[in-house]
Amino acid sequence: MVLQVNDVMKRFNTNLALDCCSLHVEQGEVIGLLGPNGAGKTTCIRAIIGLIGIDEGSITVFGMPQDGKNKSIRRKIGYVTQEITLYEDMSGRDNLAFFASLYGMGKADIQVRMAEVGRLIGLEGRLGDKVKHYSGGMKRRLNIGCALMHKPALIIMDEPTVGIDPQSRSFILQAVKELAKSGVTIIYTSHYIEEVEAVASRIYIMDNGHIIADGTLRELIARIRGDHFIEVEVRLASEQKRKELLGLADVKEVALEGNRYTIVVPGGIPILDKVVLSLSEQGLVTINTKQPNLEDVFLTLTGKQLRDEVAS
Amino acid sequence: MILFHIRRSLKDLMGHAILILFPLILIFFFDYLYKTIDIQTGMEVEGQQRLALLVIGFALTFQIYGAALSFETLAADFYSPMHDRLFASPVEGRSLVLSVLISGTVVSFLQSLVIVLFSFIVLGASIPSLFVVLVILLVSVLFNQLLGTVLLFLVGTSKAANVVTTIYGSVVPMLVGLYFPLPDSALFRVIRLYGTPMSLANTASIRAMEGDYGSMALVMLPIAVIIVLLFVSLKPLVRRIEV
Repeated sequence: MVLQVNDVMKRFNTNLALDCCSLHVEQGEVIGLLGPNGAGKTTCIRAIIGLIGIDEGSITVFGMPQDGKNKSIRRKIGYVTQEITLYEDMSGRDNLAFFASLYGMGKADIQVRMAEVGRLIGLEGRLGDKVKHYSGGMKRRLNIGCALMHKPALIIMDEPTVGIDPQSRSFILQAVKELAKSGVTIIYTSHYIEEVEAVASRIYIMDNGHIIADGTLRELIARIRGDHFIEVEVRLASEQKRKELLGLADVKEVALEGNRYTIVVPGGIPILDKVVLSLSEQGLVTINTKQPNLEDVFLTLTGKQLRDEVAS
Repeated sequence: MILFHIRRSLKDLMGHAILILFPLILIFFFDYLYKTIDIQTGMEVEGQQRLALLVIGFALTFQIYGAALSFETLAADFYSPMHDRLFASPVEGRSLVLSVLISGTVVSFLQSLVIVLFSFIVLGASIPSLFVVLVILLVSVLFNQLLGTVLLFLVGTSKAANVVTTIYGSVVPMLVGLYFPLPDSALFRVIRLYGTPMSLANTASIRAMEGDYGSMALVMLPIAVIIVLLFVSLKPLVRRIEV
């Protein structure tokens, strides 16, 4: 087993950042860690790497207890930070070489590996340029590349695609898939459900510092198979109406994103007419019923829609 | 790592230009002033020795501001998201800090060297025992870099550390008598010669230029002791920023 996190508690003053957080990762898995901002994903990752201590519970990485001082654990982890952490005045090549040198790589090895990583992140022709002249997407890719130089056995990516264009995002997802094929273990945190759906072999859903569900995408969706999802778009939605809908008998959850309500109801309950009646005063635009996806799993389990959380 | 940080530091051309050109302008200005107007210098010396002391005085002064460049670098690494990337590596926190500190010392010493050599070649400053004076400047650079680092880790922000450094860098040269004569009393004489680390380095340089190496070594002893103390205090401070 690559990683075992057991009932970890972490407090920052009175704020409980990790609440009995438990997860395990096997060799070669791509784990998607999904949760809204403030769910505790980054805290969990920082605890796994040993950047912060924990108050209770235990973390074992590659069979070794994580006490924050174990250098062999750190040598095996590649950490892609959520923020872009690069030296902007230096070239891409300088950055890759510097971060590789921190892991004890020699000059010759760095040169060889730089060519491989440059290809993987699609920057082979631009590594000589200063990072400050890169686009946001290129910086993101280099940010990932710096964590790959020392060939880590476990790569932890904390929201690696925040704030970039769809093209770069797709490039990064492709790179993650390639890494996964090579047998590297990856923990991929994101609040973009479609990304986690695309890359993860197993998913952990986190909310309020706690793992609330885990399993493969199919397993998670199976948990809510009995539920129906109704999407109604209106001209002018309101929070008050959302609460009103939630008050209807048999409605399990209601999420509001822009002018679109997503309503979760148990299967087999004829409720569409009540919903239509309730929302008709807001000007109906479209009505859809749909198969559940990961977003619906998240909504059913947390009562929140991930994108709303991100926006807030 | 050290080489990387030296190269990284050298990218700040504006900062280095200021730290080299500004003292040279001041040396030229004060030398001209003392030559043309009949006023007493703050350091009670005349002629060639006056120019030499202006060169050393301003080199020492701008080493203080050079330390600010280093702690800006440290702050950019350790009080930013870069902290996590660096501390996620297997390198010890102390090594990470020392690599920045050593590169800062090298770059700041190079600045002092350029100032001294330019004054020597272009302004015709005569500095006896030049090599020993350069060693004193190197020790002073190390002291200033360490002081800046400890200050940054104590106050926790580069902004606050900058304010303290600016005040320190403004007051200390005055107490050496670099800008104007101090009151003629025993107290001010002691302050001018031994009152601050810059005074000690300045006085040690004078002793070296006079060939009095014994006194020079005695005067440098307190700086050496402070350097050791600063090094020792660095360990718990680095531990504090590690997590």
